[in-house]
Amino acid sequence: MSKHMKVTKKVQIALGFTVAGLLLGACGSSSESTESTDAAIVSDCPAADIVDAATAEAKVNLIALPDTWANYKGILQSFRDKYAAIENPVANPDASSADELTAVETLAGQPDMPDAVDVSPAFAQEFDTKGLWEPYQPCLWDEIPTTLKDPDGKWVAAYYGLMAIGVNTTVVTEVPTSFAELTDAKYKGLVALNGDPRESGAAFAAVMAAAIANGGSFDDILPGIQYFADLKKSGNLSGSDVTPASVISGETPLVLDWTYNYPGLAPTLAENGVTFEVKVPTDGIYGGFYAQGVVKNSPHQNASKLWISHLISDEGALGYIEGGAIPARFDALVASGKVTPEMMKNLPDPALTANITFPSADQVAKAKEVLAAQWGPMVSGN
Amino acid sequence: MNLTVRSERDSLAERVPFGVFKHMRSWVVLAPFMLFVAVFLLWPTFSVFRSALQPVEGSSKPAMLEAISGQYLDAILYSVRLSALTAGLGAVIGTLVAVSAVSLNQFKGLRNVLVGYSAVAANLGGIPLAFAFVASLGMQGLYTKLLSVIGINLSDLGFKISDFSGIVIVYLYFQIPLMTLVMLPAVDGLKVTLKEAAASVGATPRQYWRSIGIPLLSPSLLGGFLLLFANAFSAYATAYALSAGGSNLVSVQIRFYLQGNTITGKSNLGYALAAWMIVVMVLAMSGYLGLRRRSERWRK
Amino acid sequence: MIRRNFWSKVILVIVAAFYVLPMIAMARFSFQRVPVIKLGWSTLGKNWTADSLIDAVTSERFLQAGWLSIRLALLSVVLSLVILIPTTVYVHVMKKSARSYVEFLSILPYVVPPIALVVGISGAMKVLGTWFLASPFSLVPFYVIISLPFTFRSLDTSLGAIDLKTLVEASRSLGASWMRTTRMVILPNLKVGIINASFLSFATVLGEFTIASLLLKFTLPAYLAESQGSNPQGTFSVGLLLLVVSSLMFALMNRLSKRKGHALTGLTL
Repeated sequence: MSKHMKVTKKVQIALGFTVAGLLLGACGSSSESTESTDAAIVSDCPAADIVDAATAEAKVNLIALPDTWANYKGILQSFRDKYAAIENPVANPDASSADELTAVETLAGQPDMPDAVDVSPAFAQEFDTKGLWEPYQPCLWDEIPTTLKDPDGKWVAAYYGLMAIGVNTTVVTEVPTSFAELTDAKYKGLVALNGDPRESGAAFAAVMAAAIANGGSFDDILPGIQYFADLKKSGNLSGSDVTPASVISGETPLVLDWTYNYPGLAPTLAENGVTFEVKVPTDGIYGGFYAQGVVKNSPHQNASKLWISHLISDEGALGYIEGGAIPARFDALVASGKVTPEMMKNLPDPALTANITFPSADQVAKAKEVLAAQWGPMVSGN
Repeated sequence: MNLTVRSERDSLAERVPFGVFKHMRSWVVLAPFMLFVAVFLLWPTFSVFRSALQPVEGSSKPAMLEAISGQYLDAILYSVRLSALTAGLGAVIGTLVAVSAVSLNQFKGLRNVLVGYSAVAANLGGIPLAFAFVASLGMQGLYTKLLSVIGINLSDLGFKISDFSGIVIVYLYFQIPLMTLVMLPAVDGLKVTLKEAAASVGATPRQYWRSIGIPLLSPSLLGGFLLLFANAFSAYATAYALSAGGSNLVSVQIRFYLQGNTITGKSNLGYALAAWMIVVMVLAMSGYLGLRRRSERWRK
Repeated sequence: MIRRNFWSKVILVIVAAFYVLPMIAMARFSFQRVPVIKLGWSTLGKNWTADSLIDAVTSERFLQAGWLSIRLALLSVVLSLVILIPTTVYVHVMKKSARSYVEFLSILPYVVPPIALVVGISGAMKVLGTWFLASPFSLVPFYVIISLPFTFRSLDTSLGAIDLKTLVEASRSLGASWMRTTRMVILPNLKVGIINASFLSFATVLGEFTIASLLLKFTLPAYLAESQGSNPQGTFSVGLLLLVVSSLMFALMNRLSKRKGHALTGLTL
């Protein structure tokens, strides 16, 4: 990506870093661990020997981290700012979790094998089954809630988001706030899923959220499938796929996607004169996380561990917040006063995430079975 | 000049240099191709079938049986329908373009520009092409808006770019140029002398085309149709980006099981669907070969 | 003849419009920062910018990816022709019965999904040596395979237009050596096929995404996919630029090749 960013983008990101930088104080700038002046930060975190070993490796191979997804652009940059000697190239940013698995298996033993991955929970399970995780518990592990980490330390969920309705208010003037409202005739042809739920994690989450909104649960996804079948029959479900271009052009004015997928587009939307609002549907609150971890036998083990540490560190967490994702250590950060209300503008209302639960691996697996069998015949079939 | 009649098999082999190992020598020419194809094409194909014949997790029957039933069978048939339709339309229009370009040979630059753009357009697809059409004829499309200004409302007329008809139109964008490129050399080969000879005997253009032109072109026509069919059959990115209806295509569904974010453990099903696609292509090839053999008789 | 020309022109104009109009709509989207819903006489001239295009084409990522893709394309074209010209000539001149098998093999790459190619070949390569997949040039054999349908079909059609076998036989029986026959009989008839095969193969490589992305190689389509998420308008404008440049380049090459060569109808007796 070009170094000459447009003014608005530059300002936004600069603002984000200024605030982050001011709040982080001593801990942010040097690459050696120093005695921190802030009592809440554990000193010697990450451990000096890991930092040194990582610097010696000088590189961490990353994959599937788009710039506009949960502000990975900012997080990658903050890693480079803190550890200037370590490169963090991202291969194939749009890779699916399956593609990440393929890359790890195909390139095993080679210098460009991915060192760390960011995969959906189902694939975190796959990696586990195939023995591809290298267990690692960075410092601050204890501050991460149990729902957001693997008990054996194989992976961590550094962030999660909520399923939300993104509304292009230039095209749609009356903003819907619930799944029930989306069925209204005035939204004909305007409601769009981000892909097919059998492939896209975001679309799958939208169906789960719709299930919850319509009497289903983590164990019962069928009402969600039925909801979309009805939406298609009434003509409200748009046939078009959601891409950044379709959001900007207004072709898909009502998008169902993660809260952390919207802030990345904000500068471009503003440039085009498009106003946008994000609403978490009141009747179907569904959260989803992605799992990150060190890949076993990858070429740069220590740099990879450092990367994972960075993700759950304060810099990483603040980066995620800027991107509209709730970081794993959110409660700890709020308690230590590092998060101002201003920084939380891209986040959903904390009241909604206070008691968030996630479906278990079994529940997700079962839901997928039902989805694979029923989505085709019920919704997309001709 | 006395061209002695020789049997097809021996005539040239005899004249090959180092003629002692005549049959072996001729195979050597084919060896690089065969070796290359064996490693980089046949081995992966074999792996596809090997995975396809194993059962999907949690079931006992081979994945290939599961992949030919219910919604998967529907998907395969839907793909076949779309491919045949766009191949047919593309073949006709592409040939017309080739014929038109050749008959306007005097405009020097035209042929070059046509070839140049066709080579590029034949490879267009995916999000850019889909979006170009969405930007043209989608709900917020440029031409949709222009048409509505003059009173024609596309959605009232029941047209959506994300419908089946939309997918067909977008597919034609790369089918037509591909056929054009395939047919140009063939149409070139229709010697002007034959056309003039036909005209001097009093044949109308239609008679010329019916008894001479089309028969002479038919092997290339059939080959081009087959190529277009395969091209459409395997395409997935364009339909997926354009329309939710793209999910009905078997090529898109393969990705759910082999390259997705949500479904795990069903890769054998994905390979099984791919195996069936290969079977469909084998059937299409046989049909094509049969037709071509018949058309070649006309040529004589 | 005149009537033929009239209809020819009509067909070409309609098809040209079909090709060009969607690109115009995409260009408007890429270069103008006004959503269609707000487009009207007053806003028609507003907010046009080429900044994102200029940023993109001068960026290091773009140049790096573009250079790799060009090299891959050239190598793939050369390798394709080296492998396929003898093959196509062989099946047309010596063993016509083999043609159907070669033809089938040429269609097969269409229906083997790219992921199967990658996974299948990487399995085989692990036996032969892991170094192979580490290099970006490992994509070349893949690209030769996936452009096989086009390259074979182009060469095949141009040979099928004339009865090459008889021509070669005649040439040989007139005493010409193989070298001379190849030069004066076979290659001129192949010329249009070679040109079309090269263009199609080149364009295929420049547009191929899946295999490169699975093997984590940074080619031009990979760059475009990457920048699409954060900057769709800039990316589309780059795409349009590439479209125009490639077409002109191919058109120019087509013209230049004609100047040197023989007429295309191929009968030299």
